[in-house]
Amino acid sequence: MAGAYMMSMGEAHRRILEYLNRFSDAVSTQDGKSLSRLLSISSDSHHLLSLVDALNTFQDANRLIRQSEEYSQYADILLPIFRALQSYRLRNLVESYQAFEKASNAFIQEFRNWDSAWALEALYVLAYEIRVLAEKADIELASNGKTPEKLKGAGSLLMKVFSTLAGKGPKRVGALYVTCQLFKTYFKLGTVHLCRSVIRSIETARIFDFEEFPVRDKVTYMYYTGRLEVYNENFPAADHKLSYALSHCDARKEANIRMILKYLIPVKLSIGILPHAQLLENYNLNEYSNIVLALKRGDLRLLRHALQEHEDRFLRSGVYLVLEKLELQVYQRLLKKIHIIQKQKDPNKAHQIKLEIIVKAMKWLEMDMDVDEVECIMSILIYKNLVKGYFAHKSKVVVLSKQDPFPKLNGKPVSS
Amino acid sequence: MNQGGTTDTLTTLGTNSVEKYPVIDPSQAHASSYYASTSSAPISWTTHGANNYPRENGTVSTSTYHHDQQAELTSRSVQDGLNGAPVVSTSTSGAVNVQHDYNSYSTYQNTDPYGYGNTGYASYYNNYQQQTSQPYQPPVGAYQNSGAPYQPLSSFQNTGSYAGSASYSSTYYNPADYQTAGGYQSGVYSNQTNYWQEGQYATYSSQYPNYTPDSTTLYSSTPSAASSQYAHHYKQWADYYNQTQTEVSCAPGTENVSVSGAPSLSSVPGGYPAANSQASAPYITSWRPESTSSELPAAQSGTVNGGVHDGHWKPAPAVFQNQNLNSVQHVQMPLETSSTYESFQNQQNHTHSQGHNLLYTATHQVPQSYQSSLQTVSQIAPQLDSRRASGKLQIPTNPRIASNLGLGFPKVEKDISASTAASKPAYISVSLTKPNEKVPSEDAADSILKPGMFPKSLCGYVERALARCKGDAQMVASQGVMKEIIMKATADGTLHTRDWDTEPLFPLPNADSANQEHILFSTPISSLPKSRSPSRRSKSRWEPISEEKVADKPPAAAAREPVKYGFWNKQHYTVGKTENKADNWSNTKFSLPEQKSSNKNSFRPAKKQRLVDGLSAADNGDESSESDKEQTLTAYYSAAVALADSPEERKRRESRSKRFEKGHGNRAEINHFRPKSAGAGAGNLYTRRASALVHSRNFEDSGTKAVEDIDWDALTVKGTSQEIEKRYLRLTSAPDPATVRPEEVLEKALLMVQNSEKNYLYKCDQLKSIRQDLTVQHICNELTVKVYETHARLAIEVGDLPEFNQCQSQLKTLYAEGIRGCHLEFAAYNLLCVILHSNNNRDLLSVMSRLSADARKNDAVKHALAVRSAVTSGNYVLFFRLYKTAPNLSTLLMDLYVEKMRYAAVKCMSRSYRPTIPVAYISQVLGFGNASPTTEASDEKERDGVEECAEWLKAHGACLSNDNAGEMLLDTKVSMSSLYMPEPEDAVSHGDANLAVDDFLARNPV
Repeated sequence: MAGAYMMSMGEAHRRILEYLNRFSDAVSTQDGKSLSRLLSISSDSHHLLSLVDALNTFQDANRLIRQSEEYSQYADILLPIFRALQSYRLRNLVESYQAFEKASNAFIQEFRNWDSAWALEALYVLAYEIRVLAEKADIELASNGKTPEKLKGAGSLLMKVFSTLAGKGPKRVGALYVTCQLFKTYFKLGTVHLCRSVIRSIETARIFDFEEFPVRDKVTYMYYTGRLEVYNENFPAADHKLSYALSHCDARKEANIRMILKYLIPVKLSIGILPHAQLLENYNLNEYSNIVLALKRGDLRLLRHALQEHEDRFLRSGVYLVLEKLELQVYQRLLKKIHIIQKQKDPNKAHQIKLEIIVKAMKWLEMDMDVDEVECIMSILIYKNLVKGYFAHKSKVVVLSKQDPFPKLNGKPVSS
Repeated sequence: MNQGGTTDTLTTLGTNSVEKYPVIDPSQAHASSYYASTSSAPISWTTHGANNYPRENGTVSTSTYHHDQQAELTSRSVQDGLNGAPVVSTSTSGAVNVQHDYNSYSTYQNTDPYGYGNTGYASYYNNYQQQTSQPYQPPVGAYQNSGAPYQPLSSFQNTGSYAGSASYSSTYYNPADYQTAGGYQSGVYSNQTNYWQEGQYATYSSQYPNYTPDSTTLYSSTPSAASSQYAHHYKQWADYYNQTQTEVSCAPGTENVSVSGAPSLSSVPGGYPAANSQASAPYITSWRPESTSSELPAAQSGTVNGGVHDGHWKPAPAVFQNQNLNSVQHVQMPLETSSTYESFQNQQNHTHSQGHNLLYTATHQVPQSYQSSLQTVSQIAPQLDSRRASGKLQIPTNPRIASNLGLGFPKVEKDISASTAASKPAYISVSLTKPNEKVPSEDAADSILKPGMFPKSLCGYVERALARCKGDAQMVASQGVMKEIIMKATADGTLHTRDWDTEPLFPLPNADSANQEHILFSTPISSLPKSRSPSRRSKSRWEPISEEKVADKPPAAAAREPVKYGFWNKQHYTVGKTENKADNWSNTKFSLPEQKSSNKNSFRPAKKQRLVDGLSAADNGDESSESDKEQTLTAYYSAAVALADSPEERKRRESRSKRFEKGHGNRAEINHFRPKSAGAGAGNLYTRRASALVHSRNFEDSGTKAVEDIDWDALTVKGTSQEIEKRYLRLTSAPDPATVRPEEVLEKALLMVQNSEKNYLYKCDQLKSIRQDLTVQHICNELTVKVYETHARLAIEVGDLPEFNQCQSQLKTLYAEGIRGCHLEFAAYNLLCVILHSNNNRDLLSVMSRLSADARKNDAVKHALAVRSAVTSGNYVLFFRLYKTAPNLSTLLMDLYVEKMRYAAVKCMSRSYRPTIPVAYISQVLGFGNASPTTEASDEKERDGVEECAEWLKAHGACLSNDNAGEMLLDTKVSMSSLYMPEPEDAVSHGDANLAVDDFLARNPV
């Protein structure tokens, strides 16, 4: 077999037996942690690697398992696990996933029978491996020109895992972890609508307080549900969820914080809250800095450039449309600037801004807009309550309210 | 006699065991070990190995091999139990008896034939014992205890004519078969489950390997006796055959055998094929009597079939005798030469496939039997060489038999493939058995005709060819033609290279040529007046009325050849399929009553279908030709029908069908199946789907083959219709190739629609039928894209969004496959559709992110993106500007959003403008007047626009007033609260105005 150094038959035999022993010991002593270590086949841990070598040398592990009652009762788990390990080592990921899927099904079966939740740790590993292996298998499938479908299968398998946990009882505490794996799967697949049923199950269950879930899972959960709210442009909710995630996230996990901020910043911008430049720098979120600057300056051109520059990234992360809507705030800022300048010139007539001035300002910004278009934008600004006042068509003048003509958003989204 | 036989067998066994051992020792090198065995056919073994190998999944030892097999079957819990049981019971025999097949196999190697007889049988009986229900055990035990008990049995079995031949040691074995058959009768069936049948089947199959050595040796010592016996059998069989003519289980192949076998030089082989068809019969017989006596009568409920049934089953004792004969014959078969072996093999397959059909659970057994038969072949192979000389006499005849037997193959294959992967290899190995090829010294013609050399595609071809024959004359004639074809192919060496699956069938020879063939080949044909072609027989027996109908139009049917063979082939196909489905579903847990009914079902519906389909196909043909006589093409077609028998027409037709095949060259191998699936009834289609599903499940279970290996394309159809116009009808059954148009006709149809002056409703209907024809034929090319594009554009033109969405989603996948078309235009449409109508941010984002840089440069796409930004920002000015400059049909898509946009705009304006807005301005900004302001005579249009705008504003609750100068103004403050979205005038209760036909027609005048 490829690359594996030949190990003596006896040694191989011993190693396989050792693994089997550890497995049955972990089950009998209800040691979830050690059990989970035995299942994490993508971890490339030393133990598992040598086990694979042993399996390659000693081909008849099957017999070893069947030999003893102790092992053979878990044969349905162990045999596919061995196969998954071997295939994984050979980078035969599709086969590895298939074998692991079999093992998982058998494990879930066993897990159902265990009353206490001691094996949750192992189940977490299992859920994680299902997803990761499926992703890898899909990459392999796609590179072979086949339809990647394993992740889809992983989705339904994880749903099965979820259903074993979602009920009452001590196992429920593990449900959120599986939910998060499901989120990851669905987001990757682009089938986020499937998240809804899981969310409902988590959020409507009165028997279990959300706060009782592990922090790690809560943060992940809030992150994903926050992202869903961004899609829906439900900014207050998104703000709440993502802020929760941010505040509970381990401060040392910078990558995670960055991921949260990636969504939180556009949300905050949409409700009129600008981040410190320092924050953007700290978490390497420079794609937002020009946007923030454009908002501050009322520079439409800068905003459009920034959007164009990072269009791909914003489209992929799904914040493009959110950022695009910031345009109105930029217009507002611009108008405010004009208003301030006019006030400096002639405070009495400052509340009347002639349309031609705005058109001129647009020209400066190299925005090709004619009077009609600008008029339309002014109309929209007033309609959306970003500007207080009215537009006089006959005289082509924006008449601003004398009191607070440019109301701040203050955490409220632009009214639609 | 027996002594001589023993030694002989011993020697052969010795060699065999050496050669064969690797097979049992399937480590990773399993496949190669197959190659190594010289006596057996490399090809066949290869396939076997290949198919078997993955199942083993890298296990090393024999035991694991067994185990794996078991594992494969674990889905069938029953079988699992069975497998487990034999292990225990046979452990005394000292062999690794995990499964029946292996059990017999291994014993074989380890012991001399007689020892084997004891041990093997012991084990075998043990198996049997375990499988059967309690009542059976005592007698079984009796048999098991000694070798002697078998003898009495043989006498039991050899009643009547057989006594004479009882000298055969083969009789010794027959009891086994017999015994089980008797068992069926004894009424235990009330608690019989499939276990039991399995037992039976196991018996049956494992028997073969056991017999062969013995009988072979016997043969060498007493050839004359054998032949005479055959004659004897044959007679008996003929009687029986007459009685059981209705047995459809005798696949056409076997029935052909009787015809063609008889013509051959001696009557000896005649008995042979008979036995083949018989082989299946015993099962039926053994079952039927019970069912008739207990519950079946009620179920049969006075149908014609029922009557036949009863009549058929009354002579039960006689039948049983025949069964004896048959079983004996089985045993004797190996006596004959290699070709005999093949036929024997074939027969086995046959039998099993049929048994399979009858009994639900035979699935596991099938592999077993195949495996054992495999052994037989290879073991006997060495002998064959030495026996050549003696076998020579029969060779000229046997090939014919065997080739006919080959007819059963495709079906068998289907059965197997649907049931278990394991059986497949066995089948292949059988059909390709090579011993013949190892004896090239034979004269050319003979060896050519040896069935073992025929590729299985050829067998399929032969089957197809024979299946469409009506009556013996045609059958014989066809056989003659086929022989010529095959000879020719062999002569120019294309026998194995040619793709028989796609080879067009030769035109049906007419009576004259048949007669010629007659002289050439078959003298005794007349001596067998009673054996008829399967079609005739089944019809006359089962559905006399329909036979009349069919008989009424023989010329038409013959002429409409494609139709004909379309449904004929399908029938073979389906018979197997139906049972498979049931088989797999039932999963071995059926109790007898159910079985009975399903047995019945497996026969009768299949047959009915055959007839009904045949009729309907014929009827359809008639109808179409009558109703469309105005159409020139049809006229031509019917003219062609009239000319069907002229040789030129035949040639033309041949070339036409060839052209078809070329058109789909890339799917060559599928074509073979197309005609089969064509015209199948709904049930059949579902059946096939179901079996395909089961198929896939099985594959997954065994973990060897991926789902994508299934030939889903086998479910496609190849059309033959030449009509350009066709109404769309949603398919409720499998498509009939006679009504499906091939690609070139569809092209014409598309052109016709594009140039048609008729209204959208008509065009939509036509396009849908074109789409349907494309779909059922799996045509995915630029024509497909064109059709969908045409339809999508038409749909946009009339605002038929649902239809447009359908086309659009199809186009998306078609473009994704790299088929060229107006990709960018439709990308723009897609974008517009998402923006304007679905209003789903996620969809929008994904569509946008999928746009390539190239696409973004396209004007249409750019426009669509601009529209998107105008919509998301609510910039109505921009929107209506884009509306006026929209390329292609984008305007029409935007049309659908205009109303919403205008309303939002007016709402926005009335909120932000004070005190008034001139309506003229609104009209201009919101694109009323339908014309761009730059055109001449704009004044007039503008005025029209203003009026239209005023109308619209009023309709939406706006408050208008006139100022001093007479200009119409919108009072914004008042309007702000009074604006509303009126109910659309063309609203219909079901929500989709497009569904209102009257309105639809009104909007789309011709």
